[in-house]
Amino acid sequence: MSAIIPTVKLHLNKRETTFGVPLYITAVVALVSILISLVFWRSGSQPGTTGWIEGSQANPGILYALVGFLAYLGVQSVATTFPFALTLGATRRAFTGGTLLWAAIASAYLTAVFAVLTMVEIATEHWFVGFYIFDVYVLGAGDLTRLIPIVFLGALTIFTIGGVFGASWVRFGARGPQLIAVVLAVAIVLTLIILIPYAASIFAAFQLWWLAVAAVVAITLSSTGTWLLLRPAVVR
Amino acid sequence: MHPDDSPIFLQLAAQIADDIVTGAYPEESAIPSATEYALFHTMNPATVSKGVNVLVEQGVLYKKRGIGMFVAAGARELLLTRRRAELYPNYIEPLMHEAAVLGIAPAELARMIHDQLTLQEDNS
Amino acid sequence: MTNAITIRSATRTYGRTRALDDVTFAVPEHSICGLLGRNGAGKTTIMSIIAGQDRESSGRVEVLGHTPFEHAATLSQISFVRDNQRYPDDYRLHHVLRIAPDFAPNWSAEVAGELVAAFRIPSKTQIKKLSRGQLSSVGIVLGLASRAPVTLLDEPYLGLDVTARGLFHQALIRDVESQPRTVLLSTHLIEESASLFDRVVIMDRGRVVVDSDSDDARQLAFVMSGTTDAVDRLVAGRPVLRRQRIGGLASVTVEGGADDGIRAQAAARGVQLAAASLQELVAAHGESEPEIVQEKAGVRA
Repeated sequence: MSAIIPTVKLHLNKRETTFGVPLYITAVVALVSILISLVFWRSGSQPGTTGWIEGSQANPGILYALVGFLAYLGVQSVATTFPFALTLGATRRAFTGGTLLWAAIASAYLTAVFAVLTMVEIATEHWFVGFYIFDVYVLGAGDLTRLIPIVFLGALTIFTIGGVFGASWVRFGARGPQLIAVVLAVAIVLTLIILIPYAASIFAAFQLWWLAVAAVVAITLSSTGTWLLLRPAVVR
Repeated sequence: MHPDDSPIFLQLAAQIADDIVTGAYPEESAIPSATEYALFHTMNPATVSKGVNVLVEQGVLYKKRGIGMFVAAGARELLLTRRRAELYPNYIEPLMHEAAVLGIAPAELARMIHDQLTLQEDNS
Repeated sequence: MTNAITIRSATRTYGRTRALDDVTFAVPEHSICGLLGRNGAGKTTIMSIIAGQDRESSGRVEVLGHTPFEHAATLSQISFVRDNQRYPDDYRLHHVLRIAPDFAPNWSAEVAGELVAAFRIPSKTQIKKLSRGQLSSVGIVLGLASRAPVTLLDEPYLGLDVTARGLFHQALIRDVESQPRTVLLSTHLIEESASLFDRVVIMDRGRVVVDSDSDDARQLAFVMSGTTDAVDRLVAGRPVLRRQRIGGLASVTVEGGADDGIRAQAAARGVQLAAASLQELVAAHGESEPEIVQEKAGVRA
């Protein structure tokens, strides 16, 4: 008998945390975006003009606002849930699998919410007054074929990276996250050292799907890292 | 249960035997279940069974399948006979030993017992 | 009788610290086994390994015939709530009661409900903010309602009032009777729980010093009290676990059974001799210096 599904249920036990809080944050950010638009409006910018649209669409606030909370969710999904999951009788393997599955479910939920709100925004001609909240560049500028992979892979990447930090904390205590941060920094610098001479040609050849590949690589590495860290982890 | 050197299951067996002798559990009546004893004495149910089995082996209790443990016919007489046999090693010997330590002569000890018995008869 | 838990030469080291040192014992199926000893003796560590939360550095641990570590089928048969159990952020009682049945195939909502009511655990308070006794109660609910064939209870009494301890004992006996299972229980309240155990394991400094049937545990040590001179002469050459003195009197706990010879000698010299209670046995082992005991045992041999 595998504890993967029970682990998913364990993560969903506090439903509001997974399903409610991201909605609240989205609502707050939407409100702030509207207020900012009002500031532009009062300062003389006219809704509907090219300048207005470009300015609004360049606002990435909606994406960044969620990153912090998603990272927290990712960290706690491992850090404080792992000891209790073991107490309930989950294996480390099933816990890692169940945590990844839960992260995928939460990411899909967020993607669906964003897709629906974007469609509503476009259908209502940007909330009847020309406010751009979801129809922004970082989310694919209203193109669902871009928005869906961006939100899904983006959220899943943040969850799993949060998870590996949580796992390092479970395994090594306070030193764990520092260790991972150092390893990551060194890896990034090394990559730069190797790639910097070719930077110009790389940027010229850049394709959007590279980001998707990078996200999939990050998700795979983080999940594997979580599993490798948790396997010898001891609850004390 | 009593703080005693003997194992707990023997203490329980002694307690049940006492209760049969005093008539608390008449012959052919049921004694409480193992769970009841375990709960009453905060005792491991397995220890209770062990204690009860001691009495079953001695023929004091018998099991009615699916109903429980019962006091055997003649159990009281059996226990009394055994206790009479134990009177000498358990009480008289230590008494004589103590008397010897205190320098009480056997004749004096006999007289003390006799006096005590007369006193009790007068009182009753 | 088959064993539910078998531990052979288990050693656990954390860096240079040796938490378990060549631990060997077995717990027969359907017994209630007391795991006793001082703080730091290794009780929680061995329970943690039995529950697959930790892993032995060397040796072998088997639960229901399998190595528990990462063995899903075995882990679902084990319940282990540690004395300082951590719960996820913002958890309340109802979160615990909602998720536990998903992991425990034998979960009894009835038992859980009764215990929650009897212990008066507040359902609206965050678990983080519960008192020590209430936290222990949550652990007892998890442990007993799981009806896991192997139930490990780590210091279940911490902070519990006398009524709650009684309730726990009653619930444990009743549940073990209706649903036979193997229980390993660690505690410092020995007098209070001694009659619950049919087996006892005493640990000291990572080692097993006593592994015995409860009934036989009374033969494992005896206490002699009398004048220091007389007692000293009697214990010469015997393994002494603990010595206490007051004025010219001494009380000495000696390892081993009291044979007729020493009983006669004690009686002759006016020295009182009594079997050590379980509590005295644990206290004595906790105080003893293993080197000295070995030396005395050597002299005796």
